[in-house]
Amino acid sequence: MTMKEYARDGEFNLADLLCCAASREVQDNEVVFAGTGLPMVAIMLAQKTHAPNLKLIFEAGTLDGRPAELPTSVGDPRCEMGASRSSGLYDAFAIAQRGYVDLGFLGGAEVDQYGNVNTTVIGDYLQPELRLTGSGGNPDINSFASRTVFIMVHEKRRFVENVSYITSPGWRVKKWPEGSWVPRRTLYGAAYRGGPSAVISTAGVFRFDDETGVIYLDTCHPGQSPEGIAELCQFDLDISRVSGQTPKPTYEELHLIHEVLDPEQIFIPKTAKG
Amino acid sequence: MAKKNKRISLQEAAALIGDGSTLTFSGFTIWRRPMALVFELIRQKRRDLHLIEVNGGPQTEFLVGAGCVAVWESCWVGHELYGKYGANVSRKVGTGELLVEDYSHAEMTFRMAAAAAGMPFSVSQSSLGTDLHNPAYDMLGRAGKRDGRDGRIARHKYQFMDDPFYGGGQYVLAPAPKIDVAVLSVQQVGEGGTVRVAGQYYTDPEVARAAKITIAVAEEIVPEEYLRRNSDANTIPSLEVDYIVECPWNAHPTGMFGRYDVDGDFLRDFYQRTRTQEGFDAWAQEWVFGQDHLSYLEKLGWPRTLGLKANSAVNYSTSVKRGV
Repeated sequence: MTMKEYARDGEFNLADLLCCAASREVQDNEVVFAGTGLPMVAIMLAQKTHAPNLKLIFEAGTLDGRPAELPTSVGDPRCEMGASRSSGLYDAFAIAQRGYVDLGFLGGAEVDQYGNVNTTVIGDYLQPELRLTGSGGNPDINSFASRTVFIMVHEKRRFVENVSYITSPGWRVKKWPEGSWVPRRTLYGAAYRGGPSAVISTAGVFRFDDETGVIYLDTCHPGQSPEGIAELCQFDLDISRVSGQTPKPTYEELHLIHEVLDPEQIFIPKTAKG
Repeated sequence: MAKKNKRISLQEAAALIGDGSTLTFSGFTIWRRPMALVFELIRQKRRDLHLIEVNGGPQTEFLVGAGCVAVWESCWVGHELYGKYGANVSRKVGTGELLVEDYSHAEMTFRMAAAAAGMPFSVSQSSLGTDLHNPAYDMLGRAGKRDGRDGRIARHKYQFMDDPFYGGGQYVLAPAPKIDVAVLSVQQVGEGGTVRVAGQYYTDPEVARAAKITIAVAEEIVPEEYLRRNSDANTIPSLEVDYIVECPWNAHPTGMFGRYDVDGDFLRDFYQRTRTQEGFDAWAQEWVFGQDHLSYLEKLGWPRTLGLKANSAVNYSTSVKRGV
C-alpha cells in the first residue's frame, strides 16, 4: 500500500469523498474564495497536495491565507496566521468584483437544472414555510468567480424544476425589473467571467453544458447508479454523459484530512461510514 | 482631539439608542459583537429598532427574540457551526412580527462603504439575475415605508441602469443606509476615541464612519498617547468615535481576536433552547434579566472563561474544545 493509492470501500466516509472531490476541483496557482465548513477543509487539502501555490481569500478579509489550524469560520483568528494581509469585507468583495477570483465553493438548500441556487427561504418568499440563513456572500461569489462549485445534500426536494427563490445566479437568470429569463452571459456584461461549473452532491458530481447551461451527471459516488440519481431529481436529468465513478480518497488524503487538517473532527467525522 | 470626556457606562450607552433607531454593529457573524450592550438593550426593553447589518449573528437573534426589532435589513443570520440558521428571525418572519429586507453580502458591504463616503448609493454588478432584485420582494416598499416620510428609508430598494460610460452592461444601484448609531466591540480604544482593532477589521471602519453616533465598547481603555505613538496601527480615527465604554469580555459569547474564542457551547445552547418564544423567554430570564455584566461573568465562571482565553502568541485559544 502506498499513500497515493485509493482507499477501499469501508475505509472512508461520505464526507471524506465529498472533501476529496471538492479538493480536485482546485488547480494550482488559483485564487480561491473560501467559505466555512467542508469546503475550507477541501481547499486546505488541495493546498497540501496538488495545489501548493493556491491563494486563499476569506470573505471576512484575510488575503492569501495559509492557516496553520483549521478555522471554524472565516471570521476566526485562525485565518490570519501566515496570511499575506488581514483586512476586511470591502477588500474581499472588491477583489472579487475586480475579477481576481478563479474559484469559489458554495452551498445551497435547493438547485435547479440551470444551477440557480436558493439559500433564503423554503416555500413562498412572502409567506415562507421556513426562513433560512439568507444570501450571505453566495450570490456575490457566484457572480464574480470564474468557476463556482456547489456542495449539497442530495434529496429529491432539493433538486427542483424551479427554486423557491433565486439567491445565487445560474446559467439562465432573470432580468429585472421585468423578470424575463435571459442567459447569464447576456445579462452580466463587463462582469461576466463564468458561473457554476460543478455540483458535488451526496450522490454524484454534476456539470453544466457549455452551450445550454443545463446540468448533467458526470460521475456517480460509490454505490450510486445514474438511474437512481435521476430518480432523485425533479427535473429530467441528462445521464448520457456519465464518465464513471467519483474517484475515492487516497490514503494520503485521508491521512491529511483526519490527522493534519481536522483532527478535532470539526467538520469531518472520523467514522469509516457515515 | 475632542475636549469632552467620551467615557460613559454600558447603561448610558444603551440609553443613547432610542426606540426606532437605525442601528448597526462591528464584527462578523460570531466574532466581535458588542453583546454586553445588546444584553443591556434587552434589559431596557428597547423597541422598534431597525437593524441595518452587513451580516447578522447572535446579536441579531438575541434582539429579535426579545422583541426589540421591527426591521432587519441584512443578508445572513445564524451562529455558523453552532446553530445553522437564525431561529428567532425565522419564527418572527413567520408570525409577521419582523420585516426582513434582503440584500447580498457584497451589496451590504458596498452600501455601507457608500454611506461612509457620504455617497447616496452603491453601484455593483453583484447578484444580477437573482430574486434579490425582484421588485415584488421589496418588503419596506410593500409595507408602505418608502413614501419619503421617514428620511432614513430610501424611496426604492434598488434602481437599475446601464453603464453610461463604457457600455459594460446592467448595473444595480442600492441606497446608502442612514445609520443613527453604530456600536463597536473592539480590543482597545484611547481616552480620545482612537480605536485599534487587532485581526480582521471586517466592516468596522465603514460602520464607524457611516453612523451619526458611534460608540466603541472596548476590552480596555488605554492612554490616547500610547495609540498615537504608532498611528499606522490604528483602525478608526478619534473624530469618528463619540462615546467610549470600558467593558472586559464584552463580546462574549462571540469571540475576539487575541482575547478569547467564541463560546460555542453557549451559542449551541441558545440555538437549541430558543426555537420557540417560550424557550427564548426562559433563556432570557436566566441569562439577561436580573443580571448585569459582572453577575453574567460570575455565572459563566472561571473554568469557562479561562478555557476561552486566547493564547497571546497565536491570538486564539489553544485549549478550547471545538469538534465532536
